[in-house]
Amino acid sequence: MKKKGLNMEQKRSLTGWAFLLPAALLIFVFCFYPMVQALILSFQKGTGSAVQPAGFANYVRILKDATFQQCLFNTIFYFVIQVPIMLILALILAQLLNSPNIKGKGIYRTMIFLPCATSLVSYSMIFKSLFANDGLVNRVLSTVGIPTVDWFQNAWAARWVIVIALVWRWTGYNMVFYLAGLQNIDYSIYEAARIDGASPLQQFVHLTIPLLKPTILLTAIMSTSGTLQLFDESVNLTAGGPGKATMTLTHYIYNISFVETPKFNYAAALSVFILVVVAVLSAIQMKVGDKRD
Amino acid sequence: MKKKNAAALMAAAMAASLLVGCGGAASSETTSTAESTPAESTAESTAADTTADGDETLTVWAWDPNFNIYALKQAEAIYQKDHPNFKLNIEENVYSDIETKLITAATSEDYSTLPDLFLMQDYSYHKMVANFPGIYTDLTDSGLDWDKFSGGKLADSTVDGHHYGLPFDNGASVMAVRSDMIENAGLTVDDFKDLTWSEFEEKAQKVVDANGVPMLTSSGGSELIIEMMQSAGASPVVDGEVKIADNAALKESLTVYKDMVDKGILAEYTDWDQYIASMNDGKAAGVINGCWIMSSVQAAADQSGKWAIVNMPKLDGIDGATNYANCGGASWAVSSNCKNTELAFDFLKSTFGSSVELYDDLLPNAGAISSYLPAAESDVYNQPSEFYGGQTVYKDIVEFAGKVPAFDCGAYYSDVRSALTDAVTNVVQNNADIDSEMQNAQDTVEFNIAG
Repeated sequence: MKKKGLNMEQKRSLTGWAFLLPAALLIFVFCFYPMVQALILSFQKGTGSAVQPAGFANYVRILKDATFQQCLFNTIFYFVIQVPIMLILALILAQLLNSPNIKGKGIYRTMIFLPCATSLVSYSMIFKSLFANDGLVNRVLSTVGIPTVDWFQNAWAARWVIVIALVWRWTGYNMVFYLAGLQNIDYSIYEAARIDGASPLQQFVHLTIPLLKPTILLTAIMSTSGTLQLFDESVNLTAGGPGKATMTLTHYIYNISFVETPKFNYAAALSVFILVVVAVLSAIQMKVGDKRD
Repeated sequence: MKKKNAAALMAAAMAASLLVGCGGAASSETTSTAESTPAESTAESTAADTTADGDETLTVWAWDPNFNIYALKQAEAIYQKDHPNFKLNIEENVYSDIETKLITAATSEDYSTLPDLFLMQDYSYHKMVANFPGIYTDLTDSGLDWDKFSGGKLADSTVDGHHYGLPFDNGASVMAVRSDMIENAGLTVDDFKDLTWSEFEEKAQKVVDANGVPMLTSSGGSELIIEMMQSAGASPVVDGEVKIADNAALKESLTVYKDMVDKGILAEYTDWDQYIASMNDGKAAGVINGCWIMSSVQAAADQSGKWAIVNMPKLDGIDGATNYANCGGASWAVSSNCKNTELAFDFLKSTFGSSVELYDDLLPNAGAISSYLPAAESDVYNQPSEFYGGQTVYKDIVEFAGKVPAFDCGAYYSDVRSALTDAVTNVVQNNADIDSEMQNAQDTVEFNIAG
């Protein structure tokens, strides 16, 4: 329709692309290129110069791997138990902190967010000493008269330690997202609701949650992908033990590559597997969460 | 609808990028080996500068400032007497990091990040040499006198008749016991020498009853089980074939171990710090491990004179069972990135390869017990140790070391160890059936070997 040069629309979109380009390029080189390499690696066998194509052998192997099944179970346990606890807790905390008549909000907000600023390794070490046989937790338990627990010798206790540690570390992080989301909700909506006679709980369920849905979706997807890649806690807090009762999938992948006799191709196949699982779970969450059209 | 698909795609891509590249999770480590980050390559001083202008500097990786790094500093001082320009550039790396860096260099086939020399755990030599031969310089013709080292130790770093490591410390197993607690039970330290496990359990029970603490502390997992198997020379891998499910020594070891846990004779601490603390805080009357554990035992100076060293019990009814095993120990390797191999060979030859003076210093000051045989004949080894109530412990340990039966895990030590840890944990924690756990371990190791 128009002939001379670029029109306004095209110019704008070109500027947009120009801004996108550097980041996109970096992501391509440092994220997508290794991903493609990993995919290629997963269809091969052997190390160094003795590499040969292996077809789906590495993927078939996944199905027969008992250790993998154990690690998958552990990871799913963390995912199913920890993510909902953490997100609900974060939502409640955000709601409390968003209330206009709380004093010293900044201090609370900082305190709750602070765990996120600690290094994954150091907080794991701290939890390790807290839950040690003669650690603070057991001392408190015995003072109160509850029998102490061998936290790291018992499979289920060790799994719960990891869940507790994760909740401590990441709740504040998610809370900040919710807080930002809450502040974007127009206060007049609540005023209108109050005039209509809605109770605080009704306001929360029928106004806050629907309006916060995009943020909830974002945190749910991030937590899902984060939990499926859980590594530091498994390595530093429990060393995967007792046995392999708390070992996560990524910890297992690391062991295959760097601890046991190295099998990089199989490790790559497992990585691709996790990628697919994260993608599928995210798609499901999008489908469930996004009901716009 | 179109919008929705695009959104889903974006989400998947976002999750994917979090997963693979930026998360720093395992998958990025397995794939991005080719592009070592700039931070890494600048942070590590590479070995390349050692050749510049006849510079006599060697870069070394080791991990323990009180032990092997101390040894390196003493070796440097000794070598500097004849070579005033010589310098060691010692870089402290946690051992697992050393192995990770070696594998990263080998898979990317870029060896320039490697140091000239590095210390490697004996159990890793077969695995690493078999998978990544490009990391090493063959030491067979380096002029080192191999006959002067104990054969069992040397076998760990020898692959197909080629030497890849110069032995450093000895890892003969000892049983360190609290003599005061034993006396509380009306027994003597001599009662705990040359026992079988059933005799040991009987006497240990008395010590447990008299002192209210377990006789032994264990780091959990399979460390002790492997030592028990080794004391009978019952290798879990023979000529590439896995021998776990039908390993009589292993079955006996698991049975004894479980029995001791049930009776309160043995307490497990899966965390290493708690394990060490249990010895130092008097929460156990003894421990079985490689003789390097003694430096941890000795950390409790207030317990001086209250410890003694004896050999470990042997398995009942197993052919070839002995009271001796080995756990740990390391050897020096020369990397393929070492440009000045002549200097490296000469340094090793003049220090760890022949200097009795060096080993005489390392024994009292670092607790490093030599695997260089002539050093063990030195006077220092015959001196009584006050901490162990005047016992000539070092002489005893060298004697133990000479009696350790041959034991082989092939290139699969870590795989075996991990599978047996599962078995022990399930047997002890969940009362699992020993035979079926042994079969599971057999299947797991076979599965890993099948690759």
